[in-house]
Amino acid sequence: MVRYVTSGATSVTERSLVGVGIVLFVLWNTAPLAWLVTSSLMHQQALTTTPPDFSPASFTLSNYTEVFNSAAQLGRGLLNSIIIAVGTTALSIVLGAPAAYALARLPLPGRDHLLLMVLAAQMFPAVVVVIPLFIAASKLGLIDTRISLILVYLTFNLPVVIWVLRGFFLGVPKGLERAAEVDGASTWQTFRLIVLPISLPALFAASVFAFIEAWNEFFFALIMTRQESQTVPLVISAFAGQYQTLFGQMMAAAAISIAPVVFLAILLRKTILSGFADGMLKG
Amino acid sequence: MAIQGMSVRSTAILFVAPALAALMLVLAYPIVYSIWLSFTNASLSAGELQTPFAGLDNYMALAGNRTARGALANTIYFTVVEVVSVVVLGLAMAMLLNHPMARSPILRVLLILPWAIAPVANAVLWKWILHSNYGIANAILLSTGAIERNVTWLGSPLLALNTMLLVDIWKSTPFITILLLAALQGIPSALYRAATIDGATAWQKFRHVTLPQLKTALAIAIVLQTIWSLRVFDLIFVLTKGGPFDSTIVLNFLAYRETFNFLKFGFGAAIANLIFLVSLVLAIIYLRLLRLRAVEAR
Repeated sequence: MVRYVTSGATSVTERSLVGVGIVLFVLWNTAPLAWLVTSSLMHQQALTTTPPDFSPASFTLSNYTEVFNSAAQLGRGLLNSIIIAVGTTALSIVLGAPAAYALARLPLPGRDHLLLMVLAAQMFPAVVVVIPLFIAASKLGLIDTRISLILVYLTFNLPVVIWVLRGFFLGVPKGLERAAEVDGASTWQTFRLIVLPISLPALFAASVFAFIEAWNEFFFALIMTRQESQTVPLVISAFAGQYQTLFGQMMAAAAISIAPVVFLAILLRKTILSGFADGMLKG
Repeated sequence: MAIQGMSVRSTAILFVAPALAALMLVLAYPIVYSIWLSFTNASLSAGELQTPFAGLDNYMALAGNRTARGALANTIYFTVVEVVSVVVLGLAMAMLLNHPMARSPILRVLLILPWAIAPVANAVLWKWILHSNYGIANAILLSTGAIERNVTWLGSPLLALNTMLLVDIWKSTPFITILLLAALQGIPSALYRAATIDGATAWQKFRHVTLPQLKTALAIAIVLQTIWSLRVFDLIFVLTKGGPFDSTIVLNFLAYRETFNFLKFGFGAAIANLIFLVSLVLAIIYLRLLRLRAVEAR
């Protein structure tokens, strides 16, 4: 795997430069998040003395329980976020997987144009589509419902799911499908019984991407929800605006909101590092 | 099964039809509708949307509006500085992580964290870090003597915009780093070996091997980051809501404010369409670059 070739032993200057680089890199990427976690575990008093009081007595878990009292919406927000993120992910996969397969394998008329459309669809800023979607949702009485967000989130999740899955289907050995065809399986049967079962890792990866995107989304949620179906990012933004000084609780809320995504991202690091980045570099 | 016995072609169409219908409904229809809205003087009265035709009025207003011109200037400044910083920093980080000493998987996981967290959580975190009285940024800078009294990071116009830039650069760099790292790993090692044999210095290798080999990947990074920089919203909403004195208003945020705070649907749509047009051009450039990369790889 060593592709980077240097002339034998690296020099002392080079090694110390890289060493300094690594320290800076780690500090830059982790310091803000380390402070998020640390301050979420500290009493308000300890945080509002200058400099902050880091004695052992300053540490507590109470922020994590109290934030559910201060932000009464947080519990419901979590439930809404889970339902909406899971719902839109499931829908994206159900709609996206067959489309991705057809785009990768079947003789689809106008395939290249469709592909370009799917790719371009990922590029549009939400503000372009949000005004008509808001008007439509108002007319249909769907403002402040979970279903409206589940549907609206297809705007960014469906293209991504199709793109990721198509990349995977392209790599599936054609022999399997040909064998199924010889045995008299229809295209649908081949897809459902042969291709889908061996694509579980890719389906999982695409689902995680879609889930993370939906879980983090703020702009559509801001416009399409009021009270009932507010998601976690909205609750946190409102909390930070309303209780500007409850720093520990604010960070506890932020920590709760990022925990599932951080967990999933670490779990899927290989796919994110190679598969996803490669996908953005390949047409 | 209904699909059995059909031609493969019609089966293929059936496979894409549901996804296509969904995309038409949530994407194509709103885009067309939004273009039409921008030519009307749309307003809400008694809960009903009135859409009297207004021709080019909204676009004329856009050109003559001072806030809009300010937002355009801010957008250009924000986008240019962010794209340059993110790509330079991302390239530096990618080269660091590609060095044999820094190939640890732990370092790569650290890259994913700022990318994965919600923009809103990120904004709230930085709001606390940058708090003028109790923020850790001021505490650290005071104790090292870098500043003499607390700085109000989001309180004055130019400083607020630059602070916002720093926060967004922090959040955006990891993904560009991941992208460039993938491209770096695709450079054939034989090229570096040949350069070494020819007695090339580290700088010469960077200048004459790395950079030319990364040309298309860098162009892709620039285009994608430009598209993403044009979208920044959550950060502005949480940190400044566009203030102080509209100094952190970008076009994207202005479109939101005109539409949903001032209920000027037509004007908001006109601003949104300007962003749409720029994004569309960038998306087309991106597709061209992808094709170019595919040709190069052959």
